[in-house]
Amino acid sequence: MFKKIIILAALALVPCFLFAAQFTEIEDLDGHDIGVQTAVLYEELIQDRVPHSTFQYYTMPNDMILALQSGKVDAYLIEQVSYGVQKKNHPDLAVLEEPAGYINATCIIGENERQGRLLAELNQFIADSRENGMLDELYDYWIADFDPVNDTCDVGGFTGENGTIAVAVEGGYEPFSFISNGHISGFDVDFICRFARAYGYTPEFYEVPFEAIAPGVESGKYDIGMNIVVSEERNETGTLSDVYYTTPIMLVVQGEAEGGLSFFEQLAESFNKTFIRENRWVLFLQGAGVTLMITVTSILAGTVLGFVVYLICRRFGRAANSVTNFFLWLIHGMPTVLLLMILYYIVFGSSSLSGTWVSVVGFSLMFACSMIDMLRVGCNAIGRGQLEASTAMGYSDNQSFFRIILPQAAQHFLPIYRNEVVTLIKETSVVGYIAVLDLTKISDLVRSRTYEAFFPLIVTAVMYFILTAVLTRIVTAIEHAIDPKRRKTDKILRGVKQEE
Amino acid sequence: MIEIRHLRKVFDDDTIPLKDIDITINDGDVISIIGPSGTGKSTLLRCINMLCEPTSGSIIVDGQDITQKGCNLNEIRKKMGMVFQSFNLFGHLTIIENIMNPQITLLGRSRQEAYDKAMYLLQQVGLASKVFNYPDELSGGQQQRVAIARTLAMDPDIILFDEPTSALDPSMIGEVQSVIKMLAKSGRTMMIVTHEMDFARKISNRILFMYDGYIYEEGTPRQIFEHPQKEMTKRFIQRLSSLTYRISSSDFDIEAMNEELTAYGEKLLIEAERLSKLTLAFEEICMNNIVNDSENPDVLVKVEYSEKLDILTMLVCYKGEKFDVYSSASKLFLDLLAEPTTEVRQDDIKDDPLGYEHMISMRFRWVEE
Repeated sequence: MFKKIIILAALALVPCFLFAAQFTEIEDLDGHDIGVQTAVLYEELIQDRVPHSTFQYYTMPNDMILALQSGKVDAYLIEQVSYGVQKKNHPDLAVLEEPAGYINATCIIGENERQGRLLAELNQFIADSRENGMLDELYDYWIADFDPVNDTCDVGGFTGENGTIAVAVEGGYEPFSFISNGHISGFDVDFICRFARAYGYTPEFYEVPFEAIAPGVESGKYDIGMNIVVSEERNETGTLSDVYYTTPIMLVVQGEAEGGLSFFEQLAESFNKTFIRENRWVLFLQGAGVTLMITVTSILAGTVLGFVVYLICRRFGRAANSVTNFFLWLIHGMPTVLLLMILYYIVFGSSSLSGTWVSVVGFSLMFACSMIDMLRVGCNAIGRGQLEASTAMGYSDNQSFFRIILPQAAQHFLPIYRNEVVTLIKETSVVGYIAVLDLTKISDLVRSRTYEAFFPLIVTAVMYFILTAVLTRIVTAIEHAIDPKRRKTDKILRGVKQEE
Repeated sequence: MIEIRHLRKVFDDDTIPLKDIDITINDGDVISIIGPSGTGKSTLLRCINMLCEPTSGSIIVDGQDITQKGCNLNEIRKKMGMVFQSFNLFGHLTIIENIMNPQITLLGRSRQEAYDKAMYLLQQVGLASKVFNYPDELSGGQQQRVAIARTLAMDPDIILFDEPTSALDPSMIGEVQSVIKMLAKSGRTMMIVTHEMDFARKISNRILFMYDGYIYEEGTPRQIFEHPQKEMTKRFIQRLSSLTYRISSSDFDIEAMNEELTAYGEKLLIEAERLSKLTLAFEEICMNNIVNDSENPDVLVKVEYSEKLDILTMLVCYKGEKFDVYSSASKLFLDLLAEPTTEVRQDDIKDDPLGYEHMISMRFRWVEE
């Protein structure tokens, strides 16, 4: 515990050592690093004016605050409205007077049989709303006068007579889409709910990172993706609706820091924001539950699958082995995120399998591959001699494997197995990419609301530590329980009367 | 009874360890298979219980051809014990379980029956105190004795020994051999692949000499070891009982020769001191005198040991100027010549096909003090 406090203290001190740089014009930033959110393409607005700058890409808008405070970037690009929210939580932020430009946001419509109809309906709705002032009303409510605590939207009252529409939103992107009191909320959400009510749909929301929205929609996984910034490239690849809002993009720089709260007051405040407010601890528990569920199910399924495939390989020799090797090569050779996205958008693209189950499938496959490798290594370590001895005695192939080889191989591969379990728990943190609300994703979403940088990160890390510790203890216990050399003498000679 | 007819085995790499093997193994036979390395001895043994699948030919066990598909091999194997060079005990099981578990799993014996049998056998091989040890806690000789007990526990009709002492330290060979000897005396059918000729001679009633994938010569131990009929058998038996060196320069590698002599002595249980006497004589006669005095030395040295007479002999044939051993300048060597256990003879050779002109023969006897 003491160590954790030291780490927290060290992290909290970091901003104090930084000094504010002086920028007033956009051109002043030339040659400095500038942060921008991945896939929003705001950098195109100022690229010509700061030709020597390097752009750093961040997945979450709030990560850019951290980057600015820790000096990784000297400025970052963000919508005016998001800046407004950030400024409330971080008074030390400042902004250049001149906006970097304006962006127009549209919706991207999925490549499926409903595409034409949805596009027409959505464009009609945008036109109507613009005419009757509803869009301005929404803009004022969510963007101009945004109140992050009290603003809510009506996410009910759907008739669903024309079916369900799957809507991809960022989910950690105030004020457009964010989790408030455990529910999805925001400008984008409100807008789509109104549209759904008007045209008889029931919307289902999926929280997806920005860079995954367009691919997901184009593969037909989602019907509508929100908040797509218009650019020529985007127009070529997707079907976009008309513009539903326009907002200025600002350049945020480090301003004057103000005296803050004491370390412990900050800690209490962080705890309050991260866990107590809006009952966010429930979200964390749910996220941990999802992570645990995916991990444990994948481990069990992967172990069984790997075992079965290994037995098949043993029985059917070379052909089965080369097929297996091909799949091992294929699955092991791919980053986890890619494997999951391929499964989610392509392999199960047209099925209704949820992201959670697709993750289970993906991680089961990966774990099965590791399992096969472990079994191979473990069984090879036993050598041919004992197998020959048992065969020569008249043990069948299966008897030899289960009674002689496996009990010894297990002691060789279980330590590796334990490491693989730990690796798997940590690897599951990428499932956010396919709209699964696991522990990491929940922590991201909460961070996007609280504008807290360190506290949720550390807390999430601690939760992963606990999960890891529990699961490795279990594997170690199994390892000890089935270790033949830990048996007691009376167990070895059970059912036998010994002569003196 | 096991009949092997026209057995042939071709490996994947096209080597042919067994070309055409024909033998009949009668109940009660103790057969030793000897021969140079790589002539298919182990392969033959492994084919008999189908650990190694023959390419063609038949193996008929009690009237049933076990090379045919559909034959229940596991049942046949239960009646054939096998003892391996590397023991192959089950590493995760205690000694007692190594012997009990196969009986329980394969023969359906009760745990009590299996235990009683295991304990009886462990006592027979002298390891009753190692019941709860694991194989890796035992010496090689002990492991091999457990392996033999494990095989015996299955009450096999025949036991196949695949070089049972080759992986053992010389000091442990004896304990394993005496267990096998005990089995041979009890009338069990056994087949043994071995490089221990003396052992083979003492325990077998039949010797198979294998050469180049065939059973080259077969007979009783007396026939094979004392009166081999065929050329390769003669050479093999000869080579075993003697060492030959040819020296044509003063660069001759004495170290290598000494190593070989030591191994030879260990194998035949020749006293180290007697060997060192021989080495002393060799160095003085050959290296210090004959080779030293000649510009183009050509010396043939043959070391031989007769177990029956317990005499170690060194024969030196050479060309060039004659050397009289008594003219040696070495006090040590002259003392050796004077010992009553040492005999020496010097002669000229006439009409030798290789052109050697003189010979010196030395015999070393041994008397326990």
